[in-house]
Amino acid sequence: MATRGSKVDRSAKWVLGAPLIAFTAMFVVWPVAQGVQTGLYDFTLQNPEITFNGLENFRRVFSLPGFWDAVRFTALFAMVVTAVEAVLGFGLALLMNRRFPGKKLFFTALLLPIMIAPSLLGIMFRLLLNGDIGLAPAVLSALGLDISLFSPGTVVPLLIVLDVLQWTPFVFLIVYSGLQSFPTDVLEAAQIDGAGRLRTLTSLVIPIMKPVIAAAVFLRMIDAIRTFDVIYVLTAGGPGRTTTTLSIFIYKTAFESGDFGLAAAISTVVLLALLPLVPLVVRRIAQPEGSRS
Amino acid sequence: MKRSIVGVSALVVGAVVLAGCSPSVGEGQGDEGEGSGIVKVVLWPGPEGDAMADVVDDYNEGVGKEAGITVQMTLLSRQDTFSKEATLMATKSSDQDIYFVASYNVGQFSSALDPLTGVDTANYFPVAVDGLSQDGELYALPLDVSNHFLLYRQDLIEGLLNDPAQVETYRSVAEQAIGEARDPKPADQWDWDDFKAMAAYFSESANPASPTRYGTILPAKNLLYNTMIWNDVLWGSGGSWTNDAGEANLNTPEAAAAVNVYADIYTNGWTSPDSSQAEFPETQAALKSGNVAFGLQWSAGFAELNDPERSPDVAGKIAIATVPGGKTHVHALAVAMNKYSTNKSAARNFLDYLATTEAMGIYAQSGGIPAMPAVLAANEDLNPAFSQIAESIDKYGYSVPVFPNTFQAYSKLAEDLSSAWIGEVPAEEALATANSDLANLLQD
Repeated sequence: MATRGSKVDRSAKWVLGAPLIAFTAMFVVWPVAQGVQTGLYDFTLQNPEITFNGLENFRRVFSLPGFWDAVRFTALFAMVVTAVEAVLGFGLALLMNRRFPGKKLFFTALLLPIMIAPSLLGIMFRLLLNGDIGLAPAVLSALGLDISLFSPGTVVPLLIVLDVLQWTPFVFLIVYSGLQSFPTDVLEAAQIDGAGRLRTLTSLVIPIMKPVIAAAVFLRMIDAIRTFDVIYVLTAGGPGRTTTTLSIFIYKTAFESGDFGLAAAISTVVLLALLPLVPLVVRRIAQPEGSRS
Repeated sequence: MKRSIVGVSALVVGAVVLAGCSPSVGEGQGDEGEGSGIVKVVLWPGPEGDAMADVVDDYNEGVGKEAGITVQMTLLSRQDTFSKEATLMATKSSDQDIYFVASYNVGQFSSALDPLTGVDTANYFPVAVDGLSQDGELYALPLDVSNHFLLYRQDLIEGLLNDPAQVETYRSVAEQAIGEARDPKPADQWDWDDFKAMAAYFSESANPASPTRYGTILPAKNLLYNTMIWNDVLWGSGGSWTNDAGEANLNTPEAAAAVNVYADIYTNGWTSPDSSQAEFPETQAALKSGNVAFGLQWSAGFAELNDPERSPDVAGKIAIATVPGGKTHVHALAVAMNKYSTNKSAARNFLDYLATTEAMGIYAQSGGIPAMPAVLAANEDLNPAFSQIAESIDKYGYSVPVFPNTFQAYSKLAEDLSSAWIGEVPAEEALATANSDLANLLQD
């Protein structure tokens, strides 16, 4: 039987959730719907007459020159940086989860990269790494290392390193926050039972932290797939299409080719490809293993 | 089960509604307006925006005031001006009356612009006017003009020319580099083989006694603006985008030779490996640092390199010469009438004012490089490069064909050729792809 209390609860959740629902509807759902809709039309800058062409744009996506190159590079880039950042971020969080002199200062410095706009960071890296006036090549040269950071053989590893430098603090922050609410009694019990550090880490800390790590990895993976700013500023997707991500590919389709309908279709295809991941991750985060729903 | 049925039904209904409505755009009708009021003009920040601000002030206090018209400039970010304008044009917006365009994108934007009629183009560089015309109609008024030069270390080149010992070394290096033991020449007499030989001579890898680390810096980044520079090599080698019949023309020995100018320099180490990601700022940095002896650069780069405060290592040592091969890309930055403007007659009044030498004189005095030879000549004391710019554009300038996909063509060629420019892909293979892509774009 519905009680007055549960009715109040139900009303309260809608009232309190209304601003977020409205914001999401206006700035997420509506633009996404418009984007999907745009993909159903022949909508180019060169032709002012917008005509419905059904799934024609979507059909074209899979045979576009460069599309699969962009998919491959984006997938590889996203997997590598996410894996490296997950490991490094987790390790940093464990290291920082103790008291030591200068912790606050170190903590602040660690978070600086994620506070800088990605496009600005791209410009900073471009100056820092310039072979003629950059600090990094000068230091490398002083150490006797004559490495060209932007040559075709080094540019992809360079982009991975720059992404790791920028976004490892993001993973660190999420995992570190999770560690602050880690149940200490479990650790004490493990200590009493004679478990070593490695055993404690692998059998207790990691399993309990799985939802937090999953959240961090998921967020980072989605962001890595969307990477645009730093790569566009540094390489514009080149040489050729070597470093063209899906975001750069979509941008060029819209603003260099002037084909908004096709760009919207590519975006929708990418969205649909990633959508199945969401319930998997939500289930992992919202319902950790062994917990009751 | 019930929830699934509701969810799927909602999705189907949503899809049908989406398909039935067309994307939101403006009403798509311009208007002459009342001939007075506010006229909104888009510019990008930088020297052009600064110079235009003074022109707008003069108009608002003079001609505009008499006509009851006030011009307001909208400055967008330099990086994204054209992207933002493309969005406005695609939605048939009437927010702005006059757009900022360029020779390389006026074709793409032309469906959202009104052709300009009754403009006296006699005051402009003919190549600037050609570059803004499509199918015989002028779509934008030239404002600023850009071309390329060979910027070189005058002290090093003259030192080489005047030293018999260096000349002998040069001949030996040239024989290795281009298969011919030729003598060094003054920079304004170079062809592309001289360019390669000089690049080798001034590189430590080919000449351990070289005063510079590398001979040159190549703008080889996958960027449409770098296609404009490479076009100088193409045109200067006797090639072009299209043949006389207007068909794609990149599958030629001339085009292959043009690609191999870059590829030979890059693969032989006569330029930094970082050239693969170089464009305007990197070329400036390379010349400023003294690490290279010369480079192809936009005309706007010269002033900074000879400024003692901004380039202390090389100020006073950098000179200008015509691009080897005697061909320089010319493009104009311009202003164009928005087809969907609701105040066209007032906007036209401002455009008529901009087409005068008086307006462009103010533009030049405020730091711009107007596309009027007489104005450049009259203001030589302001910028010593003006006379060279005027001569270069007049004698050596060319403009690429203007068609709806010109902008995309620049981008596609950069994508198709940038790997070949650095020797990663054979020239013929890359040019076959580029030619096919260009042919498709010419047809669309």
